[in-house]
Amino acid sequence: MRLSISLAVVALGLGAAPAFAADGKQLFMDNCSACHQETGKGIPGAFPPLAGSKVALGDPKEPVTRVLKGRGGMPSFATELTDLEVAQVLTYVRGAWGNKGKPVQPALVMALRTGAKRENAKASLLAH
Amino acid sequence: MTPDIMNGGRGVSRRSFLESLGGMGGSALLLAGMTALGFDIASANAAPPELGEGGKGKKVIVLGAGVAGMTSAYELSRAGYDVTVIEARAFAGGRCQTARKGFKLTELGGEAQECDFDDGLYINHGPWRIPYHHHSTLHYTKLFNVPLEVFVNDNDASYVAFNKGTGPLAGKAIRKGQIAADARGAAAEILAKQVKQGALDQQMTAEDRQLFLAYLTREGYLSADLAYTGTDGRGFEVNPGPGMVPGPGKESTPYPLTDVLHSKAWGVLSSVTGYEQQRTMFQPVGGMDQIAKGFERHVGKLIRYSTLVKKYRQNDKGVEVTVSGPDGKVETLKADYCICTIPLSVLRQMDMGVSAKFKAAIGAVSYALVGKIGLQMKTRFWEEKHFIYGGHVYTDDPDINTITLPSTGFQSQKGVLLGYYNFGASAAKVSALSPKARQDFAAQGGMRAFPEYADNVETSFSAAWHRIEHNLGGWAQWDDEGRRDAYPILCEPDGRLYLAGEHLSYLTGWQAGGIESAWQQIAKLHKRAQAA
Repeated sequence: MRLSISLAVVALGLGAAPAFAADGKQLFMDNCSACHQETGKGIPGAFPPLAGSKVALGDPKEPVTRVLKGRGGMPSFATELTDLEVAQVLTYVRGAWGNKGKPVQPALVMALRTGAKRENAKASLLAH
Repeated sequence: MTPDIMNGGRGVSRRSFLESLGGMGGSALLLAGMTALGFDIASANAAPPELGEGGKGKKVIVLGAGVAGMTSAYELSRAGYDVTVIEARAFAGGRCQTARKGFKLTELGGEAQECDFDDGLYINHGPWRIPYHHHSTLHYTKLFNVPLEVFVNDNDASYVAFNKGTGPLAGKAIRKGQIAADARGAAAEILAKQVKQGALDQQMTAEDRQLFLAYLTREGYLSADLAYTGTDGRGFEVNPGPGMVPGPGKESTPYPLTDVLHSKAWGVLSSVTGYEQQRTMFQPVGGMDQIAKGFERHVGKLIRYSTLVKKYRQNDKGVEVTVSGPDGKVETLKADYCICTIPLSVLRQMDMGVSAKFKAAIGAVSYALVGKIGLQMKTRFWEEKHFIYGGHVYTDDPDINTITLPSTGFQSQKGVLLGYYNFGASAAKVSALSPKARQDFAAQGGMRAFPEYADNVETSFSAAWHRIEHNLGGWAQWDDEGRRDAYPILCEPDGRLYLAGEHLSYLTGWQAGGIESAWQQIAKLHKRAQAA
């Protein structure tokens, strides 16, 4: 539901920026805050901070790739988040906690998606 | 329909191939042939490597006292090696944990939890079931006298509670056996009638058609005129009993196929279970940590608890591991070899003096986000009011996934059930909640199946493995690229360092993966030590 509303807003070009950020914050709270924390400060030695992070704020290709593919302790969100949602959540990250990075466009996410998939077929009805 | 339908899609049917093997070389060749065909169900490593005794005078440091680490310690010390195990926690087992009264857990960035279940109740928030073909795990449960009981991994009496379908069955809790009977009965009827009307006359011989119809009739409980009208196995409206009333009882009426289809509840059905998910499995009596305790009885004296690895260095003469003990005292331990079972999610952030190639490979894998919650219920309403003894309630809400009823303590007063088992983004979302909020969320989640659910919740214990220090994830999730490039590097030693654990197996997330990986690595280590 949230997604279809956001798509409509983007399509119509009406107040896209605020809706984008609001949805991005909710996506962040849902998908990222358990590890990176609501403050974006992470947990030293376990989860890296996103506030002031060079990776998060740099060339958007790198954070988009990490969200899509995962890295180290971080899982892939490729099957969980749509291109639009990845763009929204990273746009939020790049603008929150004093961060000043440019928004991420869904088209970039679409372009960086690859066929490589994690072994997450088990993450369905039953795993171990 | 391909012409191959009658021989399983193979050029030669399996049966005729086996018959020819049997004719040529007798039973030995037949058995070899069956292994070649994948019929041999034994795991690749059914027993530990025979190391003999030549380990005397050689020292090995094992990092991590989970099942992989303790397997290494047990087998190497039996072979005479001088083994020291470094364990970050105050207890052994790694992810092989059981939460019962007094068990403490504080997730990273989270609130402290102390399990307050009643005495005798527990939740296996880590591994919780054992397939019959995990011979390695079963090797040690037998060796260490860890009694097993059946884990009910499938129960036709349990509910499918799907909300995302449409039609009159959507949003209802329906017994799995009813969905199975009606979906498969209807499918068998349709197929049988097609065959009868000649739809497969071109593809099948008359004899095969007869046999196929006989199979379909049996599979779907069809009548002589190939109709499915229900079957006693899906349950009665009035159960049969004594005398005239209830006497024969009243049979139940099948759900219309269209309702079954639109409910999407058939999503839980398959001809057989997956390889790792048999209908009946095993669990240790009293909790999965009985396996950890079994190992600990034999290697506990080798373990240095509450000791953190600060630094690893190696050269062509030996290894040096700098550790910080429970009193904060830092010391450097020396050995000939090191076996490291620390999850890669944790290892990648440690000060490891290994080759650049090896270090890069360590960083190349993701770890699963996994969440579980045990809910203590004040009554066993699922048994008393719904007649479900063990098994899973299936939902189509990924934040809950399955609710699992305990396979132990039947007919006792209270019970602890698994309130959710979530993964990936769902696990991330639910794990962002406080322990109390998770309990409330789970309590509501069960209402779709049981009206008594939320009112019966007394207390809970939850674990989000990606937020647990020293684990940072449920299990390794390799992608194709990682399996191709990084995995083979990590399976071989880097200098004197050997990695072991579920992450270095194709049994990721299973204790058997950890054990068998350890077996493989210690065999390599031993061979090298003998040659040195």
